This record gives sequence, C-alpha cells and structure tokens, in this order.
Amino acid sequence: MSEVTKKTVVVTRFDPDQDEVPKTQSYEIPVQSDWKVLDALNYIKDEVDPTLSHRWSCRMAVCGSCGMMVNGEPKLTCKDALSNYGNTIEVEPLANFPVVRDLVVELDGFMERFKKVKPWIIRAKELAVEEGATRQSPQELADFKQWSMCINCMLCYSACPVVGNDPHFLGPAAIALGHRYNMDSRDEGSAERNEVMLEEGGVFACSYANECSEVCPKDVDPAAAVQQGKALSLLDWAKGLVLPRGSE
Amino acid sequence: MKALIERIEPLIWVLFGAGFMVGSLLLPAWVFTFGIAQPLGWVPDGALAFERAHALAANPLGKLLLLALIALPIWNAANHLRHFSIDLGGYERDGAVAPLLYAGALVLSVVAIVAVIGL
Ligand code: FES
Repeated sequence: MSEVTKKTVVVTRFDPDQDEVPKTQSYEIPVQSDWKVLDALNYIKDEVDPTLSHRWSCRMAVCGSCGMMVNGEPKLTCKDALSNYGNTIEVEPLANFPVVRDLVVELDGFMERFKKVKPWIIRAKELAVEEGATRQSPQELADFKQWSMCINCMLCYSACPVVGNDPHFLGPAAIALGHRYNMDSRDEGSAERNEVMLEEGGVFACSYANECSEVCPKDVDPAAAVQQGKALSLLDWAKGLVLPRGSE
Repeated sequence: MKALIERIEPLIWVLFGAGFMVGSLLLPAWVFTFGIAQPLGWVPDGALAFERAHALAANPLGKLLLLALIALPIWNAANHLRHFSIDLGGYERDGAVAPLLYAGALVLSVVAIVAVIGL
C-alpha cells in the first residue's frame, strides 16, 4: 500500500459563460505517494468537484492530451509524479493557447500549422502495387524515427517564447514533423516543404531558446529538427538563387 | 524592408552561425593571447613584436582571419539581439529593430573590411 498524505492543489478555473478572467480554486485532498498529477485532478473531479474540466485519455504518455502547466512548467500530467512537488502544487492550462474552460485549451489553430508542413509522404510518381514495397535500411529508418515519436502534446508550443510572440511561427512540433518527412528516404517532397520552412514564421523565426527540447516528454528534440531544418532549407534557398523557382 | 530581411534570412543565419563559432572558439583564444598572455610576459620576447605581428596581420590570410574575427561575431550579436527582442515580447517592434541591427552589423562589417584592407 502506498502512503497517503494531504496536498493542496491550486487549479485554474474558467467558465466562459460566467467569468471575465480565469480564477484559481484550491482543493486539499488526500494523495497517495505513487500518484501522478493527473491522478490528483481525477480525484478532485470524481470525489470533490465534478464541475472541473480537464483533458486526458491514455494515462500512459502516448495520447498527448493531458498537457498542463504544473508549477509554471509545461508537463504531461499523467507522467509527472506528484512527489516531484511540495505540499502545494499549481495546475494551469497550457500557456500560449486560448482557454476553452478550466484546464482545457483550444488546439484548432495549432493543428492548422501541422497541415502546412505537408506531413505525409510525397512522391513524384506513386509506386504500382506490383512493384512491391519500398525498402528501407535500418539506417534509413533511424534517420527519421526520432522525429516520428512526437505525440502532439503541445508542451513545446507552450514552452516556446517565439510561439508566444510571433503569430506566424510554425512552432517546434510542426517543424519536427516536417523534418521527419524530409528525412524519410521514401519521400520526395522536401523542396515543397522547404518553401514553407523558408516563409515568414518558418525555421528562421526560431530564437534558439531550446525550451522545446527541454520540455519534450518523448525526447524528440524538436530544437535539433529546427536547426537541421535551417541547414536543409538553406541549400534549397541557395539553389533558388542560382536557378529560377520551380526548375529542377 | 521586412520582405527583404525575410529573403536574406538564411544568409544572416550563416553569418550568425559562423560568428557563433568564431566568437566562442577563436575570439577567446585571441583575447587570451593578445590581452592577457602578451602583457603578462608569458609569450617569448619578441614573438609578438610589432613588426612580426603586423606582418602576420598584413598577410592576405591574416587579413581574412582578422576580418572573420571582427565581423562575424558582430552578425552573431545582431541576430541574437534581434531574437532576444522578439522573445521579450517585441514581435511588433521587430519591423524597426531588425533593420536597425542588421544595418549596424553591415556598417561595422564595411568599416572592418576597409580597416583590414588598409593594414
Ligand atoms: S493521458 Fe495520454 S498522454 Fe497523458
């Protein structure tokens, strides 16, 4: 049996029908020593205050829906142990996102940025089924695998100072996602993608804060993707100086 | 202006990156040699006497190195200051800050080129 202690959880509350601005509400609850932050929120919702709204699903750090600010830092609450904190912990909605209600944020505008980098395999000509599967060596898989581990939890958007200031910025996860396809040996769409990477709000808007990689719960290291993306799109940019756009 | 900066952003990034390398590796060695080791007499007598040092600097390769040492870190600084300003909530003012910083870096680079050529 794990030990039970008391902790105070200070939660941001916001009801768009009633509140002008968010307020906080404190709950003193019994917690078990092996609980994650999400367990405390679920306890509050189930046992204390059913009006609390927060988002979660898998409870095992794969669905990416439980991101929140815990004591001011973006965290996956199903992975973040309560024992990391003192007797009082503050839980707020993810920074840099519009709040829908309580701890739930609006993601639509950000999902649009993912589409912009064309996160699918682009081929000049599709292979016919008879031609068989496209083979990849373990090395070719390793070239993009890391960038494919993102669970879209958006913690990096919440940590990034540029996302907070520049409304055009694609953001760390979207750039890492584009980079994942640029690094895939089956893909032939990097020139198209790099046009997006070179636009306003593309890779060069990054200010090298590296916060995205600091907070990433899956070790995707989006900051490295952004830096590599700069180098790759630089080549396309230099080519564009010599050759007119669109020519091969 | 904004469109122009956007177009040359990759070039600025190259200068920034090069300036970062030069500024963090070569410049400290330079400052140590000429600012600390030489005045403290750790360098053998005459090794950095004016004539020798001047001959080194006036050699085409020496000029190139000097130029890189002076101009590249300026671009590093300009780009860093610009992004620093944006990170501090300065997205709106970037339209003025960026041209100002890059123009400053350009002017200083030209001054450095003229000075180095004249050695
Ligand atoms: S609940 Fe799925 S990642 Fe936390």
